[in-house]
Amino acid sequence: MSRARAWGWIAHLRDGGTTPWADWSAPADRADRVLPGAQQLELLRRLNLAGRPSTALADRVLATSAPGRGRPDFELVGADEGSPFGPQPVDPSSLPADELVRVATGVIAEDVVAGPVPERTPRRPRRPRWRIVGDAWVAHTMTEAMLDRRRWPGGPGTVAHVVGTDQAAMLVDAWTARCFAEGGPPWGEWLDAVLRRPVPPRRADLVRVADAWAGRLGRSRVRVVLDPALVAGLVRTRRPLPVRPTLPAAGVELARHVSAALGHHVVPARRVALLRGVLLPRLVGRPGPALVVPPDRAEQVTAMAERHRERLLAAHYAVHGEPDLLLPRQHDGAAEPAVDGVLDLALALLLDHQTAPEEAHP
Amino acid sequence: MSKRVLLHVGTPKTGTSYFQDVLFRNQEALEPQGVSYHAPRFDYHFLAALDLMRLPWGGLEAEAIGAWDELAARVRAASGTAIVSHEILATASRSQVARALESVGHGAGAEVHVVLSVRDLVRQIPAEWQENVKHRSTLSYATFLERIQDPTRDSRIGSWFWGVQEIPDILNRWAHDLPPEHVHLVTVPPPGGPPELLWQRFSRAFGLDGLELDLGTDRANPSLGVPETALLRRINRDANALVEPEHYRPLVRELLAHQTLSRRTGSPRLALPPDVHPWVQELSASWVREVRERGYDVVGDLDELLGAPPAAGFADPDAPRERQVAAAGVDAITALLLEATRLRQEEARLRDELAAAHAEVERAHLRPVYRLRKKVVHRLERGSGRFLIRLYRRLRGLPVDAG
Repeated sequence: MSRARAWGWIAHLRDGGTTPWADWSAPADRADRVLPGAQQLELLRRLNLAGRPSTALADRVLATSAPGRGRPDFELVGADEGSPFGPQPVDPSSLPADELVRVATGVIAEDVVAGPVPERTPRRPRRPRWRIVGDAWVAHTMTEAMLDRRRWPGGPGTVAHVVGTDQAAMLVDAWTARCFAEGGPPWGEWLDAVLRRPVPPRRADLVRVADAWAGRLGRSRVRVVLDPALVAGLVRTRRPLPVRPTLPAAGVELARHVSAALGHHVVPARRVALLRGVLLPRLVGRPGPALVVPPDRAEQVTAMAERHRERLLAAHYAVHGEPDLLLPRQHDGAAEPAVDGVLDLALALLLDHQTAPEEAHP
Repeated sequence: MSKRVLLHVGTPKTGTSYFQDVLFRNQEALEPQGVSYHAPRFDYHFLAALDLMRLPWGGLEAEAIGAWDELAARVRAASGTAIVSHEILATASRSQVARALESVGHGAGAEVHVVLSVRDLVRQIPAEWQENVKHRSTLSYATFLERIQDPTRDSRIGSWFWGVQEIPDILNRWAHDLPPEHVHLVTVPPPGGPPELLWQRFSRAFGLDGLELDLGTDRANPSLGVPETALLRRINRDANALVEPEHYRPLVRELLAHQTLSRRTGSPRLALPPDVHPWVQELSASWVREVRERGYDVVGDLDELLGAPPAAGFADPDAPRERQVAAAGVDAITALLLEATRLRQEEARLRDELAAAHAEVERAHLRPVYRLRKKVVHRLERGSGRFLIRLYRRLRGLPVDAG
């Protein structure tokens, strides 16, 4: 009976039902070889609450075990076979949101792999020849905008513009760029490790980037630009260049999870292309506060920024903008991504990008 | 389609490395004898398991993309018996197991068997903690024991440990759709028995008796003593933040742990604390009862899973004898000095090679033909011959521009 009740609930969820497991009683016949885990079932219920998932999406959710290490698939409390072995069965509605996010990101990763990566035809670089480097996220955003304007980087006589901004924003940017690439530890853990070191991480260390480009192009062809608004003028493009896309903190965290899941589908270079070419446009403009450095870290970030400023001055590069622009400024936003927000975003993404709308429940 | 598929799905620390190495080295010899073990590299089945279970493993997962489907296709294409073996498969979820079974032909004509090699928790618990330490863990033995005794299994340690060690649950996931006679348990003999006994049990379970195989192998997963493990944990605490994973593996796990510290066999061995024994005894007895009732094929003796009683003189790795740790430390420093010496010699050799190459380039630059060619190129680049130079470089596949 307990198993039959579970099969009944699964049929209900497949039909778009939203009744919690604890309130469900109607039985049904076994419909598959194995009962899906509690995480998968609860994720489908949440999808039903949030919208109308297609049959195909429901099937994929029920068949996907969460990628990566973590808790195993749970049995439903009251529907297990009474085995004293294995993890304790759970009431799915009591599962923490991060367990559901793990399952959701496995499905999102499959969607992202299927998405086409926009490709551009290489063009001959025009004068003034440029590269935008430095703060990895800002440099990526500006470079993409230049490519949209058919301005290709590199070529003889290239000048490297090492763009930066205040240290707090650059740390957020560095973690964001990492989440949309190889992924890595959660924001708080990453920030802890970064602030223990004397110099900023590679993606937010303007001096290190400038040195690397000076080695390739010569010091005279490296400019450090501390006010991103100045870059458009330096590369001679009429319209201002966007600094970074509008992303909620939850979106960056979701990208971090998806990055890990994508690592099982594609090689690292393709993963970056998919995260930035397919996932990022789906996340831009979604509601929610942006990520900021927690206020209790301000002192450490200021100390890092001051050391950064001293190193920059000692390196004697041409600098556009005041070196004090490196000092952290107050930004409004979330000091860390909220896991409920990440789940809401994951649900929205799954529902918005279903491949076959005609398969939706009637 | 394979007639028979043997899926060896665990558990870790049960002689699996040795077994897999014998299969790997004997692939060609096994094939004409009707046994297929497809593994283009030693860790191929590990990669396939990572792929099946979508497990990250320090970047190795990028090499694992598509490995399970490829292995499963080979298994389906084999004509006799096909073997798949990796111990981390023990942690697969029900849906991953369903996919694995289906992909090797379960329900489509193949006779699928599951084999689980198992060892008593009295040895498995300290061995798992030590394995964690060899993978950068800084967790004390006491904390590790607390985590695995926590019934909620909320921690990463607890969740992983029971995922790969709880025999009845592993079999709930892997064997629920198979008849009991297709499920085989190979028990690891107690310490002190004949060394070939475990191989004989593997051989019987996998139907390899009577086949001609080269059993000589040096691949093993050597264990460390108490002071050596304590030393490694201290190294992890201080060096984890400084040593990247790609350097940790060759320097710490291989050089220090496997090649140096594991050779110190005179130090006290890791063991289960006496106060944990009653809990382990009770748990193991419940597993033995359960497995016996299910009627699986057992190669060995289920009572071996109860483990040995507590030995006298438990050595606590959280409070080791400092003299013993210091002695292990001296061995570790010596090994690192030898390695540093080897690297310095290698560096010197490479410097010499580089200097010789530079000298060769210098000599080439001084030749009149080179100087003439340089002059011509310089003139062409400054004048209207730039087009010719670019064309020449394109044709030769050389970089046309810098920057």
